[in-house]
Amino acid sequence: MAGRRAALKAIDWMAFAERVPPNQRAMFNALKTRNDALSAKLTSLPEKPPAIDWVYYKTAVAKAGMVDEFEKKYNALKVPEPVDTQTGKINAQEQEAAKSAAEYVQASKSRIVQYEKQLEKFRTMIPFDQMTFEDLNKVFPETKLDKEKYPYWPHRPIEDL
Amino acid sequence: MLSRLGLRAAPAALKSLAPSLSVGPFHTGQRCLAPLPPLPEKGGQVRHGLIPEEFFQFLYPKTGVTGPYVLGTGLLFYLLSKEIYIINHETIAGACVVGVLIYIVKKYGGDVAAFADRLNEEKVAKALAVKNDSINHLESIIEQEKKEQWRVEGRNYLFDAKRNNVAMLLETNYRERLLTVYNEVKKRLDYQIAVQQLTRRKEQDHMINWIEKNVIQSITAQQEKESIAKCISDLKMLSKSTRVAV
Repeated sequence: MAGRRAALKAIDWMAFAERVPPNQRAMFNALKTRNDALSAKLTSLPEKPPAIDWVYYKTAVAKAGMVDEFEKKYNALKVPEPVDTQTGKINAQEQEAAKSAAEYVQASKSRIVQYEKQLEKFRTMIPFDQMTFEDLNKVFPETKLDKEKYPYWPHRPIEDL
Repeated sequence: MLSRLGLRAAPAALKSLAPSLSVGPFHTGQRCLAPLPPLPEKGGQVRHGLIPEEFFQFLYPKTGVTGPYVLGTGLLFYLLSKEIYIINHETIAGACVVGVLIYIVKKYGGDVAAFADRLNEEKVAKALAVKNDSINHLESIIEQEKKEQWRVEGRNYLFDAKRNNVAMLLETNYRERLLTVYNEVKKRLDYQIAVQQLTRRKEQDHMINWIEKNVIQSITAQQEKESIAKCISDLKMLSKSTRVAV
């Protein structure tokens, strides 16, 4: 992880909320409350702890080298930054999501093409009152009467009338 | 004239009667793929419900307007006078039947036609409704698919939010650690100072007590009696002065 100053990206929660589908609202709300709680906690903590007044302590404490020793050790102390284990996983998730999203969009586009084809068929159809039965069977193949299977009128099982 | 018609029809009839497996002069051109013209809305015009209008138009150039009527009347009289058609009781019955039929058709024909047309209209309207519903349904589905695609584009927000959460957690943790360090060091220093102050106070108290004890011990009996007498005389003087003031 690069320094602790990893800048927090500003998130447009309104736009995010728009794009959430209704069946995932609960998860979105949970995420948002968690985010809000974390940011509240973050802002409640000071960025740097207040500086210790070494001069005052030097004059106040009687023991000879104690304050100096403390000061030296305090200034030399390096607080380790917490190790970031999750960002890698999140990035991996993002890659996967990108892939599956691309697939979904692909499938969706092919579905749209199919629907458009059907729509074209409906739009370029001749009006019903100028059709013959032949034309009707061409546009709606399911209306074709099977004269081989049912050679006698009405050419379909009685239940389907 | 009718014979001329007959003569003209004869060769065509002979040709069609002749057995021919090939279709002859029909269907020789290119197949016309254009959509056929729609069927005509109305049937051919008839006059008096029986005789097609084309007959009257056909005879008009030669005989004018009254031609076919004269022809019809002449034909009728010829048939009656030559007794080719004999009037008997069947004629009367037939005439009555025909009269009743004409009356019925004239009175109810329109309604029956309207009813039949309505049946047809309903069928067509049902089919049209199905077609319109399908079109609307398809359009709405296409809309929905586009909307879902738009939603998918928003997935970056989710991952940004997650990363923000993680970063905030880390930052909070780090700040907490700093704060802990500071607090601990301060506590220790303050403890030292507190201990010092406590010992100093204790020493002071002890010293004061010891000094007091010694002083009290060092007051001999003689000095005590003298100091008490002085106090009493002082008090008497004070009380005298206050009584005078009052």
